[in-house]
Amino acid sequence: MSAELSKPGQHLVATGLSAGYDGRAIVSGIDIEALPGTVASIVGPNGSGKSTLLKSLVGVVKVLEGQVKIGDNVVTNTAPEEIAKLGIGYVPQIDDVFPPLSVRENLEIGGYLLPRRDVEASIEAVLESFPRLKSMLTRKAGKLSGGERKMLAMGRVLMLSPSVLVLDEPTANLAPLVATQLLEEYIRGFADAGSTVLLVEQRAKAALRISNWTYVLGGGRIVLSGAPKDLEENPLFVESFLGGAAPTK
Amino acid sequence: MLTAYAFYLTTILVYGAVDSMACLALNYQFGFAGVSNFGFIIFQAAGAYAAAILSMPRAATSNGGFQQYVLGWNLPWPLPWIGAAIVGGLIALPFVFLVGKRLRGDFAAVGLLVSAVLLNELVKDYVPFLNGAAGVSIVPAPFQSKWNPQGLGYQFVYGGVAIVITIGVYYLLRRVTESPYGRSLRAMRDNDIVADSLGKNLRRQRAGVLVLGGAMAALSGAILVGFISLWAPGAWGYAETIVLFAAIIVGGAGNHKGAILGAILVPLAFEEITRFIPPVANPTLIPALQWVAIGLLIILFLWFRPNGILPERRRFLSGAAPADVVSEPATNEGDALIKLGNVDQLNFRELLRLGDTANDHRVILSTKGLTKTFNGVTVVSDVSIEIQQGRLTGMIGPNGAGKSTTLAMLAGTLPASSGTVTYDGQDITNLSSFKRAQAGLVRTFQLASEFKKLTVLENLVSAIPKQSGDSFVGSLRGKRYWGSEDKANIERAQEVLEGFGLTQYADTYAGGLSGGQRRLVEIMRALLAEPKVLLLDEPMAGVHPNLAHKIGDQLTKMCESGMTILMVEHELSIMDAFCDPVIVLAEGTVLATGTMAELRKRPEVVEAYLVG
Amino acid sequence: MSSFGFGLITAAVLAIATVGFTMQFAVTNVLNLAYGSVMINSAYVTYYLNIHHVTIWLALIGGVITGAVTSWCLNRFIFTPFQRRNLAPITVVIVALGVDLIGTFGLQAVVGSSYVAFHQTAGHEYHFAGMILNGLQLIILGLCAVVLGLIHWLLKYTRLGKAMRATSANPNLARNSGVKTQFIISTTWLISGALCGLAGTVFAMNTGVFEATSAQLYIVLLLAAMFLGGPGEPYGAMFGALIIGLSTEISAAYINPQYKEVIAFLVLLGMLAFRPYGIFGSEKTL
Repeated sequence: MSAELSKPGQHLVATGLSAGYDGRAIVSGIDIEALPGTVASIVGPNGSGKSTLLKSLVGVVKVLEGQVKIGDNVVTNTAPEEIAKLGIGYVPQIDDVFPPLSVRENLEIGGYLLPRRDVEASIEAVLESFPRLKSMLTRKAGKLSGGERKMLAMGRVLMLSPSVLVLDEPTANLAPLVATQLLEEYIRGFADAGSTVLLVEQRAKAALRISNWTYVLGGGRIVLSGAPKDLEENPLFVESFLGGAAPTK
Repeated sequence: MLTAYAFYLTTILVYGAVDSMACLALNYQFGFAGVSNFGFIIFQAAGAYAAAILSMPRAATSNGGFQQYVLGWNLPWPLPWIGAAIVGGLIALPFVFLVGKRLRGDFAAVGLLVSAVLLNELVKDYVPFLNGAAGVSIVPAPFQSKWNPQGLGYQFVYGGVAIVITIGVYYLLRRVTESPYGRSLRAMRDNDIVADSLGKNLRRQRAGVLVLGGAMAALSGAILVGFISLWAPGAWGYAETIVLFAAIIVGGAGNHKGAILGAILVPLAFEEITRFIPPVANPTLIPALQWVAIGLLIILFLWFRPNGILPERRRFLSGAAPADVVSEPATNEGDALIKLGNVDQLNFRELLRLGDTANDHRVILSTKGLTKTFNGVTVVSDVSIEIQQGRLTGMIGPNGAGKSTTLAMLAGTLPASSGTVTYDGQDITNLSSFKRAQAGLVRTFQLASEFKKLTVLENLVSAIPKQSGDSFVGSLRGKRYWGSEDKANIERAQEVLEGFGLTQYADTYAGGLSGGQRRLVEIMRALLAEPKVLLLDEPMAGVHPNLAHKIGDQLTKMCESGMTILMVEHELSIMDAFCDPVIVLAEGTVLATGTMAELRKRPEVVEAYLVG
Repeated sequence: MSSFGFGLITAAVLAIATVGFTMQFAVTNVLNLAYGSVMINSAYVTYYLNIHHVTIWLALIGGVITGAVTSWCLNRFIFTPFQRRNLAPITVVIVALGVDLIGTFGLQAVVGSSYVAFHQTAGHEYHFAGMILNGLQLIILGLCAVVLGLIHWLLKYTRLGKAMRATSANPNLARNSGVKTQFIISTTWLISGALCGLAGTVFAMNTGVFEATSAQLYIVLLLAAMFLGGPGEPYGAMFGALIIGLSTEISAAYINPQYKEVIAFLVLLGMLAFRPYGIFGSEKTL
């Protein structure tokens, strides 16, 4: 992870958060935080509201109750473009690139908020981190493979050297090796460089391996949270997410 | 003076009848079936022209030959009117391909709009066909040789006949829309892809709607031309359709009385009010301002009262008093508390019409080399699977592994790029999705897919196959023909509803339910489609875990009763508890198949996809 | 060959109009059927400046500004509020038709129904490669070439243009990248509206005489050109306009010119029936 891409992290806190669509809460009563220099992860079954929760933090889904704070700024229901300005980089699970735009143009949009003269340098820095993208700068993002596409999606948010990185299932549909590399090299590395990472991950075991703190979401609420070590010893957690010690029917 | 008013009154009667009939027909297409026929005026014009040239003498021999037109059969009434209705129905057929199921509704609509614009130009420019821009004139009125059409008595009778026919149209349409067939049309309007997946033949339904509406529009044109005795391209500019749309929006789409009210308030009142405005220097000023007013009416109504003055009314099928119905939208909070009523007492073998055959676990559904490519990117590649009868097979894999795409190809929602699908010994690779559903291969959707403006009970009943009232002809035969069967169907749906504990929501609009309740409605609806093989796309997503396990128990029971289920699911605990065997999909290919216990022993599966 | 020359002019004007139309569809997913009425209103503003002793090329700027401001207002005060209500696309199309009626016949109520013409001179005739074009036509061709070049430069090489394309492709992600999409969409309507105003004026110049309802048939060509190139694709629109413009004029030379829209109509129906995403488009873009 190249050093230019990271900034000192900011403290991300959500308290008493409810959020959803059309005034209906999908997640409610959520208290989570992510600290600088750490990875906080959220795991839970499909449909438990993980994506909705992340979207409400970055302004895409409406917050119905509670508060979101980044550093000293209260950003509850702030527009996504304003949240981006505060140094929050968000990578959605799907629709994570601009398919008809070339790889270079995707990165340029990633650096939209940068002063014009800094864009080139930032692209160079991103390409240092993801050298595979170098040879495909003129290719349309829609024509990339799954792994390349995810790298581009990561590269796009790194253009602004975000202080907080919010990632929604970045390893979905990646081959195991690529997934491991992305998690352990890049995402963990980003936190090690001092930034804040909040991660939704479906591979629970892999998430625990790189996290400092993990939240378990179920039915729209936090049902469990703790340090990875403690969770690994929690029978309830083991049963539902780690496949159980001895599966019983 | 009094006679002048009387003549004026007859004009209003005829125009009122003609406008009402047109609005009823367009409302049937747009408000009930969701077919946005922006070319509606074509049909009215075709009827007027057809009635004219069928009743007029041959062009060369008549009126010194000052006008040119084809036919000229000199037919006596009522043959020109009947002919007009037939022509109106027939010219609907070429437009059926535009409203086919794969085209966005607004794109189909502009296609019809442009057709109206262009046909008007063509008729205007090609004089030998229908006398060009001047139009046909001196069209004979019915019985004019025996009775003076200018007489007051004649005109009152003409107005009376027009009104009687309009009333007939009203009752005919009501008979159609309040039947099981009408329910299918409204289901198509609310969500056509889902209606298709439940076995509704969209193309046939839309063709039927275009033909019947077209015939009625044509009849209205025939009545008009018999009264005013001339018809020219100026009378049927494409914008006339917009006036009728304005009428329906004002009156209330999806409500027959609303259509009549709209016809009286918009086209009729607009024509008539301007008669009382004193003439001004600029002759186009008043008509121009009329058009402006129509435009404003559309925009203001869609903004302030989008459902019109008389909104579509709700159908209370359950027999409960409207006051007892839960109309408030439910919240997602309550989902944890949903109890599955007395579901354990349901006899699925009976309810799902599964017959008595025992489970033999033969291969009932299989694929060979199934592949799907979107724009050069392969999403599903060379998938070969076998689903055994009577088993609850699971399909897992990470997001984007191609599970939903595979399921869509099995159900026919998406065509396969290559490979074959075999169901019950038949190659169904090229069978359309509604036919697969009719053959017992029924799917559900991952995203909410309820018919929003149908009640919960209507959602369920609409899925029941082989209803005798669920065809145009069946609907015409009336309630006496399909009523008792429909009553039985409603009772069967209520039984299921009670089993799943949602009885109090029977008459609630499905769009007002909570996420978990909508899931249940979708599962119940799929069951009532009497599937032999049920394809479930993440049925437990967003469902409270307690409820998910209750649903899983019932699915197991159904399989024991002879049904086959393929379930795409994300949650391992559900797979553990209910599914055997389980297919693991990754990056568009089958990674492994086996019981969960076996899969947990396979390191590549475990490492990569089960526990990460 | 002379019909090829006419076809080129028709294509050039149509290209400008279609690029504007398709850009509006790209960023807001609206089939703005009121486009023709904005065109003709802009032409009338040019006309009024022109008869009040403003030279035609200066007056044209007035028409361009009219198109830009009107379109911006339409998006801001009509289409955006309706779209916020999450209505079916068909509802917005009905709204657009309502706007079209107000625009076209509101104009007719004000100016009456007589035909008018600009004070313009056709200029010398030039012969080359079998085509006969007059000075005015050459200027129109040149103007269109310059404007299309500018649009290409805007979309491909400027920050604004890239943000417009990003907003069209994935509005949520654009916002997450810090793009103020509301501003970008507004600006797109301003620019596409300017194209609409320019197209309206140049269309009126090319036809010679016009009145309030003269652009009503133009929507057929516009839709055909857009669907040929793929809805929402500016480069597809240029291609579609070229094909439709040339084919209508050339067919007019061989068949009856009164039926020249027929070929566009058949192209449109064919595209809608078989490839509604355009010749180069892919299924997934719709």
